[in-house]
Amino acid sequence: MKFDPDFALSVTPLILTGLGTTLWIAVAASLCAAVLRFIFEILRRSNRWLGYVMRFVIDVIRSTPVLVQLYFIYFVLPFYGLTLPAIASGVLGLSIYYSGYLAEVFKGGIDSIDTGQFEAGKALGLRRRDVIVSVILPQMLRNVAAPMGNYFVSALKATPYLAVIAVPEMLGIAMEVGSNSFRYAEPMVAVGVIFLTLALCISYVVRLLERRLQIAHQR
Amino acid sequence: MESFDILAGIFEGFKVTALVTLYGMMWAVPFALITGVLQHFTRGAARVAVTCVIEFWRSSPVLILLFVLYYALPGFGIRLSGMTVGAMALGLNIGGYGSQAVRAALQSLDRGQVEAGRALGLHRLHILWLIELPQVLSAMMPTFVNQFIQLVKGTAIVSLITLTDMTFRAKQIADAQYNPIGVYTSLMIAYLIVCYPATLFGRYLENRVRIEHRGSREI
Repeated sequence: MKFDPDFALSVTPLILTGLGTTLWIAVAASLCAAVLRFIFEILRRSNRWLGYVMRFVIDVIRSTPVLVQLYFIYFVLPFYGLTLPAIASGVLGLSIYYSGYLAEVFKGGIDSIDTGQFEAGKALGLRRRDVIVSVILPQMLRNVAAPMGNYFVSALKATPYLAVIAVPEMLGIAMEVGSNSFRYAEPMVAVGVIFLTLALCISYVVRLLERRLQIAHQR
Repeated sequence: MESFDILAGIFEGFKVTALVTLYGMMWAVPFALITGVLQHFTRGAARVAVTCVIEFWRSSPVLILLFVLYYALPGFGIRLSGMTVGAMALGLNIGGYGSQAVRAALQSLDRGQVEAGRALGLHRLHILWLIELPQVLSAMMPTFVNQFIQLVKGTAIVSLITLTDMTFRAKQIADAQYNPIGVYTSLMIAYLIVCYPATLFGRYLENRVRIEHRGSREI
């Protein structure tokens, strides 16, 4: 069968109906991953033995494929009485996977802030809460924004994995178009172009943001 | 089936996982080196062209790349085996990430290195080959190991184009007998056995590089 550009164009609007789901999953997964990693870090630093355990947990997360983790969550959790809808399993899976990689966000965000900042705030007579809210937090957000943005792009590129557990995101829709029409080439190319455009646009915005924040910092 | 038998059954797919990884490396390493070096040395239109090639492979989701190559290439009259397509999609995707590490490492080299080479009357290519690349490659070792792990984990997706790798074997076993807990836990363990040593080795290299840096700063 020859590639038919008209068919590719005609299925594009249908595939784009999954755009909202894709973006929503990527946003939810990045945020949950950050929260999860935050909990991991607190546990890791709280006590020595827990520290070893958490380190191993993170290593397990980093040493197994995200696809396998998704299968695990989707097929194994119901056996323990936890039946999640496909989309929740997907978000949970991606969150767990990316929680293993967010370390640099925390390193860059929290550890890089000079303790002098705290002390200066104290010396100026600011209350502890004010120091955190108006001195530490803005700097933290600046340090965290760009790496978080990169992880968001990365999570966006991982959303197609959710098609294998029947989540109707863009690849899932494209697969369905394929199985209904027996033509896979056109929907695949269409979904590929959409993803590439999306990823490039968002990375561009992240880079712009990064530069802006750096300039603001230099002032 | 005992859990050991399940693990043994899954490892019947190890050969395919290993082959896709090996062939993937054969795409990734040359692609990363060539495009990374080219992106560093070219200017203007040539650089834009190199960047476009890199971004195409790096910014597309790897699962989509795989499906586009697998389903769409036959539509343009190109027929490749599943193994070739899998290795190519995974390899060039990882190679795209690797190229950025190569370029960053080249950029972060001290300018004095190149100037010293010039002062010795070396040709620019000799400077690249004899002075820059050896330093770049040794600085890149931790990144290289991490990308290798990403590649091994990435091979799980070839199970979706019906290659019998470890993930595909696990699904076959899960279909034959109703024991998702045993099968998917074993699958996690199988990838852990393959990737965990590499994870530890990567961390060892990272620590060593950090210590070396500290040393050079003290001098």
